Amino acid sequence: MDLLSFARGPGMTWAVTIFVVGVLWKLAGLILLRARRDLSEARTPSAWTGLRAILTRSWPRRAFVHGTAFSEVLGYSFHIGFLFTLVFYLPHVLFFEDVFKGLLGVNFQKLFGVHWPYFSGGMVNFFGAVAVAALIALLVHRIVNPVKRLISNFDDYFSWLVTIAPLVTGMLAYGHVGAPYQTLIALHLLSVELLLVWFPFGKLMHTFTVFLSRGTQGMQFERKGATL
Amino acid sequence: MSDLRETAYATAILHEVADLLGKLAADGSAGAIDLRAMPLGPADRARLEEVLAQGAVKVSVDAGGPSEVFETVYPGVWWTRHRNDAGETISEFIEVTDCPQFLKSQPDDIRAGASGLRRLLE
Amino acid sequence: MKGETMRNDDRDITLGEYLAARGVSRRAFLKFACSLASLMALPPSAGVAMAEAMAKSKRPSVLWFPFQECTGCTESITRSHEPTIESMIFDMISLDYQETLMAAAGHQSEAAREQAMKDNYGKYLLLIDGSVATGLDGAYSCIGGQTNLSWLVEAAKGAAAIIAIGSCAAYGGIPKANPNPTGARAVSDIVKDKPIVNIPGCPPIPAVLTGVLAHFLTFGSLPELDPLGRPKAFYGETIHDRCYRRPFYDQGRFAKTFDDEGARNGWCLYELGCKGPVTYNACATIKWNAGTSFPIQSGHGCLGCAEPDFWDKGSFYRPLSVAHWGDKATLGGAAAIGVALGAAAALAARRRQDKIAKGD
Repeated sequence: MDLLSFARGPGMTWAVTIFVVGVLWKLAGLILLRARRDLSEARTPSAWTGLRAILTRSWPRRAFVHGTAFSEVLGYSFHIGFLFTLVFYLPHVLFFEDVFKGLLGVNFQKLFGVHWPYFSGGMVNFFGAVAVAALIALLVHRIVNPVKRLISNFDDYFSWLVTIAPLVTGMLAYGHVGAPYQTLIALHLLSVELLLVWFPFGKLMHTFTVFLSRGTQGMQFERKGATL
Repeated sequence: MSDLRETAYATAILHEVADLLGKLAADGSAGAIDLRAMPLGPADRARLEEVLAQGAVKVSVDAGGPSEVFETVYPGVWWTRHRNDAGETISEFIEVTDCPQFLKSQPDDIRAGASGLRRLLE
Repeated sequence: MKGETMRNDDRDITLGEYLAARGVSRRAFLKFACSLASLMALPPSAGVAMAEAMAKSKRPSVLWFPFQECTGCTESITRSHEPTIESMIFDMISLDYQETLMAAAGHQSEAAREQAMKDNYGKYLLLIDGSVATGLDGAYSCIGGQTNLSWLVEAAKGAAAIIAIGSCAAYGGIPKANPNPTGARAVSDIVKDKPIVNIPGCPPIPAVLTGVLAHFLTFGSLPELDPLGRPKAFYGETIHDRCYRRPFYDQGRFAKTFDDEGARNGWCLYELGCKGPVTYNACATIKWNAGTSFPIQSGHGCLGCAEPDFWDKGSFYRPLSVAHWGDKATLGGAAAIGVALGAAAALAARRRQDKIAKGD
């Protein structure tokens, strides 16, 4: 079996399976933990409005902006660039549509009447480049800044690597640069599979937990009468 | 602006022809350009045909199908188009030479003709 | 009829003399050689050199063996009613055995084959189309009571080189597709000690065979091959890299069905399963039927027929990026396992909390 057939076949199947097992393991393990009961009286009728902390915590309070703006802006640049390439490029759209159809029996187009939108390869490449540039800047900052360097561990660096690899290999494949296309696309798929396999076991789980933790904190504070 | 883009290939070819013609004039060395080698759009073709228009010599050849050779308005620059019996173009060249090889009588054909004529007269 | 078995004395004259005897002038041959050089992306001067070299060479004896094949490759190469580059193949070689084309049949043709192999031992070119059946010791495909496998092994011994024509001979092709009931194998799986050129395609582009033969006649050797044994001059680039619809791919304009606006505007066929990006062949430049068209130009995605195992790489109509992510059952099971593990972890954590609370 050649590399591309492996990457498109058993490689992807295993990676997605491990991803599903791992993510649900971590999430179920968190959600089913016993939460400490707050025996004080609730100051607000419903703590659910505290969920708005998910939004309000999306940007630092004015007093802290000066010190954190650099990382925040670069962080958003990376996330927006990454998500754009993932979600608005036709070959990826076709992959997700196929997963949708296979898992839920749902044809996106039939359900919503329109095809999921996608943009030109050139535009996707641009956003990919933005994401890669942001990641490199963030890594440099992490290494150069003494505080960040001190608190950084394997998880930080490895998660960075498995995130930048699909972006770089994707752009190389799009541009047919450096090796035959089959090799480049196989490497791209394998890098995605590595990302999927590592995902549940490191800080990349923040993809889900960021909403859980912000939301929980918001609700806890709301209950105490202090709106975040 | 769009005109320039459309004739980018044509301009490149014309520059190469100019270079080859210069060499031919200087030391008699010949050269050729394969028109199949690059994607020519209709605007490119039109420009080439406009600049390298037909000159004084036009030759029709029937060898393994029809072929057309003409000298352009620039002496030494020849345009050759080879077709098969179905009339489909199978190759096209711009040759910079005093006389394209294809137009010259080939030595083996001459030899075959010489012995054939002798046999006829015997 | 072109290709009929030639008499012995015709094999001793040069190609130039042979053509002259058939009324093909050297000028006509020069035209053919220049056109072929153009197809092979050689400089124009190469055409003149090729004509000279080929005219001086002796026409090699070629034995064409049809194994487990559909005769599509023969059809592709002989599909010409007027002199074309493709039909020149039969002038360039002394085709001493070809079942579809030769006049002789039965025992006479087998006798001709054996004679040709003896007379040209060590010098003939072996052209194979069709895969080699190896199941039941090769009994699945026999000619004249002998297995293709035994023919190949025996004929390879005296061959100067072997040309595997078509995807079946090059990689096993259709017969090899899952579950491969006849044990079909590629020629290169059987013969290990002779130079082999693979000319894959289902069928292959005829000009490729002409190009390989011309190279052999001009230089006395086989052209430069890629890692899969294909001549780089023709298989050096993917369909995608030469496709005229490539600007649409880059602009993000894709046809969604075979009859929608995109299809009618000639947009990229990626979504309809085109395998162009991973297929190496010359279809997008040389095209078919004297440059008339090729599958994508006619509105259908590339099948990837010049690549190994193209029949077993998933549907022709599923896009390349649709990988095998699994299925409902697998992922359902994975989800259940994940939740179970999480619940077990949470339970262990709760037990520990209880222990701590109790003061142990």
